[in-house]
Amino acid sequence: MFFVTYLRRELRRRMRQSVFIMLGLALGVGLVVTVMAVSSGMQQAQGNVLQGLYGIGTDLTVTKSPPPFKADDNNGFRITMTPSGAEVCDNGKCSSGAQTIDNLNGLSYGPLPYSTIAEVAKLGKVQAVGGGLVLTDQQMVVPASVATGGALPTSTSFYVDGVDFTHSTLGPYTDGKVTSGRSFAAGDASANVAVVDSNYASAHSLKLGATVTVAKTPFTVIGQVTQPQGSQPPDVYIPLARAQALATSQGKKLTGEVNSIYVTAVSAADIPTVQAEIGRLLPSATVTSPSSLANEVTGSLANTARLTSSLGRWLAVLVLLTAFAVASLLTIAAVTRRVREFGTLKALGWRSRRVIAQVMGESAVIGIVGGLLGVGVGFAGSAVIKAVAPKLSATVVTATGQHLTSATPSGSTSYDPTITRTVPITMSAPVTLDAILLAVVLAVIGALLAGSIGSWRIAQLRPADALARVA
Amino acid sequence: MYELTQVTRNYQKGRRTVSAVRDLSLTVDDGEWLAVQGRTGHGKSTLLHLLGGLDRPSSGSIDFDGRDLSGLKETQLTRVRCESFGYVFQTFNLVPTLSAAENVEAALVPMGIRGPERRRRVGAALESVGLADRMRHVPTELSGGQQQRVAIARAIVKEPKVLLADEPTGNLDEETRDDIVNLLEKLWLERGLTMILITHDSSVAKRAQRVGVMKNGNLSILRDSRRAERRRPEQRKAVAPEGEPEPAS
Ligand SMILES: Nc1ncnc2c1ncn2[C@@H]1O[C@H](COP(=O)(O)OP(=O)(O)OP(=O)(O)O)[C@@H](O)[C@H]1O
Ligand SMILES: [Mg+2]
Repeated sequence: MFFVTYLRRELRRRMRQSVFIMLGLALGVGLVVTVMAVSSGMQQAQGNVLQGLYGIGTDLTVTKSPPPFKADDNNGFRITMTPSGAEVCDNGKCSSGAQTIDNLNGLSYGPLPYSTIAEVAKLGKVQAVGGGLVLTDQQMVVPASVATGGALPTSTSFYVDGVDFTHSTLGPYTDGKVTSGRSFAAGDASANVAVVDSNYASAHSLKLGATVTVAKTPFTVIGQVTQPQGSQPPDVYIPLARAQALATSQGKKLTGEVNSIYVTAVSAADIPTVQAEIGRLLPSATVTSPSSLANEVTGSLANTARLTSSLGRWLAVLVLLTAFAVASLLTIAAVTRRVREFGTLKALGWRSRRVIAQVMGESAVIGIVGGLLGVGVGFAGSAVIKAVAPKLSATVVTATGQHLTSATPSGSTSYDPTITRTVPITMSAPVTLDAILLAVVLAVIGALLAGSIGSWRIAQLRPADALARVA
Repeated sequence: MYELTQVTRNYQKGRRTVSAVRDLSLTVDDGEWLAVQGRTGHGKSTLLHLLGGLDRPSSGSIDFDGRDLSGLKETQLTRVRCESFGYVFQTFNLVPTLSAAENVEAALVPMGIRGPERRRRVGAALESVGLADRMRHVPTELSGGQQQRVAIARAIVKEPKVLLADEPTGNLDEETRDDIVNLLEKLWLERGLTMILITHDSSVAKRAQRVGVMKNGNLSILRDSRRAERRRPEQRKAVAPEGEPEPAS
């Protein structure tokens, strides 16, 4: 076919230029694919973190902010250490001298009555509801005294989850797989038994039958669970009733309370409706959806996500626009150089449309090849990112509600310990079909844009003027 | 064939208006060979472009076979160009990436002639210019004379009524020039073409039936041997190659 022959010959004649345009488009498009891959990898990673924190299948969590904390003598947990002695005050109850502190706190969230679960269950479009206690066990050995300017003792802490296993299959516990021992049974509801996370177990050498101390109470380890990779599970799971009996929130027992309610909507589309209904039912509660949780995640994961969404996107757009511009300029230059050729064709009786089709055909081929190369560049980029990306981590910081003070002759220093949960993330950058299609479409659009600018010049061309030019 | 009435073609050069062709009236007969001479810049090419439907006059009318070219729409004009006019340029203007055969083929593309018929006509056209053995060569592999032969084959392959040639021998040496002029004359005789040929070269011009000179955009006829030639066909036979048939008169 004449069209194809002519097209092939012209592309071959301007091989170097064609390849240059193709590579430019490929680079721009490849960057777009890479950025898209990275950001979908980011989304996946964030999804993993959030699911790990709040449980697979949970669409919404209902929590309440703790009552405002007033740091005075009767409120909060205060440890004062001076050279002359140590004093520990727990919401106004003080004791002095060396001692071991082991508290199970539910201070991150305010308490909600257990009956709230049933109320939420009655709302429309709600599929399932469950509740539990999200707690932190804080342990510290307080010495008899601390020398002036001496180091404060450090506290250790781990996460404890009060699991309502007799009623609900929602919440972080249900994501785990029991890898050794057994899960909770109905008879365990008020027993001092614990299931521990396998990572926590190996870090602390906790075998089956070992004892883990929670709020100065020994619990027997009956099983180990493994949570999905990338999740940030609680360390120790205990029956909800035991947790309610042992935990406190700002000095008050949590008997008959939960502090996290997990809700599943009938369908993903119902999430906003359910969220609004719960908001009306419990005006003082916070209803959180996975999308609003994304803001709570900090650390290198969040930084990288921000970087890809800002810098990466701009870089890709910039390179793409540059490629478009260069392609357009080169096409204009090529058309200008071929003005006499096109004038001759017009003199032979070629319609402008046919000449334009020829130029557009050349551009389309350049665009398609550039787009396919761009997909290749995208795959390469995503592979490179997987290979060289530093290990990322997501960090979620939670307050412990404690207040530590060290009094010295020159004054006192104090700090509020927080618990930082860091989840390691394996960075992935999957190239999606959408990205591939977008790449090819973008490259073809770029090339056709260049072609149309060239064609516009051809349409302007009067054959006599074209032929008058001496090349 | 042609009836030009008071044709003017102005170019705007800054504030100044240049009349490349001015008030030109001319009649061209069916099957005649008109040569146009003239100094550079006096409007020869402009006239040829007007005759070939590549350009439109600023005023006046160009009647071609009963149609006024100056009044046609662009698509109609393209159609006329495609069917009726063959061009030959001083600089050959072959598409550099296409072979000789493909360059000739390019003229048949807009006519919608395809397949075996297209190949047959391309072959015949190249044969009639003596280049049957150079079909696959690209322009850079051909001499100037051969390139011009390809251009001539491209002009005649669609069997036009009019062959328009703008200094077809301007870039060729004397011997090649004579070959090309002989070839043009042969085709003119064989095919009953109307041929309008622009040349600086008097030895080329004198072969034509009628010779005019462009001066300041106007054409004055120097010599007209149309009637004389019709009376003396044996003379025409002398310049035609051996065994060529008589032109229809
Ligand atoms: N596109 C144009 N724009 C402005 N002026 C033009 C244009 N084309 C031709 N002219 C002017 O019109 C006049 C006639 O030009 P034309 O090309 O017809 O001359 P010519 O007789 O063919 O000359 P040559 O022998 O050098 O080819 C010249 O003065 C030229 O400068
Ligand atoms: Mg000229």
